[in-house]
Amino acid sequence: MRKYLCATASGLTVALGLSGAALACSPDFTGVTLKVGSQTGPFIASAMQAAGESWEQQTCGKVEVVEFPFGELYPKYLTAMVAGEASFDVITFAPAWTPDFAPYLSEMPEKIRGTADWDDIAPVYRDRLMVWNGKHLSQTIDGDLHTLSYRLDLFNDPEEQAAFKAKYGYDLAAPATWDQYYDIAEFFTRPDENLWGTAEAFRRGGQQFWFFFTHAASYTNNPNNPGSMFFDPETMDAQVNNEGWQKALEDYIRSVGFAPPGALNFSSGDIRTAFSGGQVAMNFDWGDTGTIASDKAQSQVAGSVGSALTPGSTQLWNHKTNAWDSFDEPVYSPFMAYGGWQAAVPQAANNVDASWHYVEWASNPDNSGQAAVTGGSGVNPYRFSHFTNLDRWLKTFSEEEAKMYLAAQRGSLEAPNIALDMRLPGYFSYTEVLEIELSKALAGQVSPKEALDTIAEEWNKLTDEFGREDQLAAYRSSMGLPPL
Amino acid sequence: MREPIKYLFIWPAFLVVLLIGLFPLIYSLTVSFQSARLVPPRPPRFIGFDNYAALLGEERFWQVITTTSGIVFSSVLVQYVIGFAVALALFSRVPGERLFRVVFLFPMLMAPIAVALVGRMLFHSTVGPVNHFFTVLGLPNLPFLTDANWALGTIVTVEVWQWTPFVILLMLAGLQSLPRDVYEAASLENATPWQQFWGITFPMLLPISAAVVFIRIIESFKIIDTVFVLTGGGPGISTETLTLYAYQEGFKKFNLGYTSALSFLFLIVVIVIGVVYLAVLRPHLEKRA
Repeated sequence: MRKYLCATASGLTVALGLSGAALACSPDFTGVTLKVGSQTGPFIASAMQAAGESWEQQTCGKVEVVEFPFGELYPKYLTAMVAGEASFDVITFAPAWTPDFAPYLSEMPEKIRGTADWDDIAPVYRDRLMVWNGKHLSQTIDGDLHTLSYRLDLFNDPEEQAAFKAKYGYDLAAPATWDQYYDIAEFFTRPDENLWGTAEAFRRGGQQFWFFFTHAASYTNNPNNPGSMFFDPETMDAQVNNEGWQKALEDYIRSVGFAPPGALNFSSGDIRTAFSGGQVAMNFDWGDTGTIASDKAQSQVAGSVGSALTPGSTQLWNHKTNAWDSFDEPVYSPFMAYGGWQAAVPQAANNVDASWHYVEWASNPDNSGQAAVTGGSGVNPYRFSHFTNLDRWLKTFSEEEAKMYLAAQRGSLEAPNIALDMRLPGYFSYTEVLEIELSKALAGQVSPKEALDTIAEEWNKLTDEFGREDQLAAYRSSMGLPPL
Repeated sequence: MREPIKYLFIWPAFLVVLLIGLFPLIYSLTVSFQSARLVPPRPPRFIGFDNYAALLGEERFWQVITTTSGIVFSSVLVQYVIGFAVALALFSRVPGERLFRVVFLFPMLMAPIAVALVGRMLFHSTVGPVNHFFTVLGLPNLPFLTDANWALGTIVTVEVWQWTPFVILLMLAGLQSLPRDVYEAASLENATPWQQFWGITFPMLLPISAAVVFIRIIESFKIIDTVFVLTGGGPGISTETLTLYAYQEGFKKFNLGYTSALSFLFLIVVIVIGVVYLAVLRPHLEKRA
């Protein structure tokens, strides 16, 4: 009897142990180690690491996040994929690189799509940036677009409001147009108080051109001619030297005068520091300014961070008529600068199924929602559920700040005239000449017109060199336009 | 006595050297005659000297050569003058000389990227202590990293800070190897320290000076990390160096044929400068010998 009881107990123990293991490893990826490429942390890398830890508990697999400086990511990924090496099971990268990476990426499994979690992703990511040539090749893991941040303590100050109205004739509020933006920037530029109007990134290699693109989107992303911001979608002729772009560059250069000393060497990190340090009255940036500036541990202006859409314009350049189109109300063209980080699985990955499972896990509503409210994760909202759970945001933001921040983010995402970033094969060739000429124009070495003419000439040369037909097809695809 | 077996032992090592040393060069030279791009992918195609002709006809190439040469020659000149002076001071056993010997070597032991980061913080327009010092004196903020001329000056300064210790180290070793009896004889002739320096020390250290300057010139031509961190090559391309340009072409644009040609032109530039340098110095060195 005793033997029988012992045998039964042992059997039950083994059975329970096995079922426990089966529950712990669901699906079971025991023995699988995924190498996940990321930029050097904490931005994005910490989010991938956190998702990796919970994924390991769930599946019994292993995740190793391999970090490289941002500038090294593109060559590291591309050379590995071209050589067919399984150096990475998952890569995290910029949407602009998709055209170059597309031939080497595996397609997202069908089972990931069509679920409630899938529908939770904002359509501009799900249906535009995650797609290349009709195939879902990547998963958005971070939402990126430019929004405006401004100091509520200054903007709500009755004395400031009265002084502003007396000087400019209208109420002090978040700028609706770029003209208002410069009025406000001028008003708050007070070097004797160590206060400046605004801060933008101007440094070559410091995310400079995305800030310029935000200016340009307001004048060139004409809703009457979809997809015509960067190139003519019929001919692939560069549009970068039209009057809309010229106005944008003049504005961008004008911003230097309202920024702190040495702003020409500012990258996006510097402008966040300038805002959270109380040095500037406003800036526009990715969502990071909002999360950092609202965090008491990192900011001197926590509790006073207002958010809004980046300014719009009542006039947009029409490349077909070669004239400005006028609108009664400002047209907002929030620019999806960079377009957020994406994750994809190379065809050469050691375990494609496990890799996609990890990508789905990292971007599910719970994990991504937690990452979106974690300061320093680098993850900004990209799912509708990220906007609805206000409690999560209140850990860092005040209620007023959180509501404004989420409204600005969601309002930008859902803006009818949202502007997509450029995505083209040979992206770095196009942006390199852009950065060089922008730097020259900012330093006063060439006029805005000369800089833009040079960029247009070089872009047209590059388009011819890479094959105009191929580039045109790629450009139309990136802008969500059907093939010609 | 000839023993053929010895060739059997030498051949493996010879082949390894050939593979490791020469194959990459030959491969790279071959690619330099091709139109080869990874982005967008283009199959390699033989195009003769087109890459070289395109480079030589490009204004940017000549500008980066001028910029690189300017940084190299000005920084090496300053490094040599300061390095030699400090070596003389250390050799004269100034008080605290042992401490100085160690402390002076620190910058050289640091990674160039770390030195550049230190430089970027020091010369930062708003939070950098250098500009803060100027502000305290009532002077305006200086555009150390955003104006072309100031940025070049800042790069040269950082280079001098990092590499002068190398010059100090070698010149000090040279000074310690000089025979003492020559100086004793000069002292008996009532030669002043200035006369001793120009008549004995400088000429006798000329061979080692030539070597130190040559090494620094060759090394300085490879400068990339300092520039990358301090200015990114800007404003515009006013501080872009040859290696940074090659990096942009090779690892950002993946224009492999063009980059290979650029690498060989870089090699040619360095060889030409080296040959001219040695040709100018040869009469003086032979006179010493």
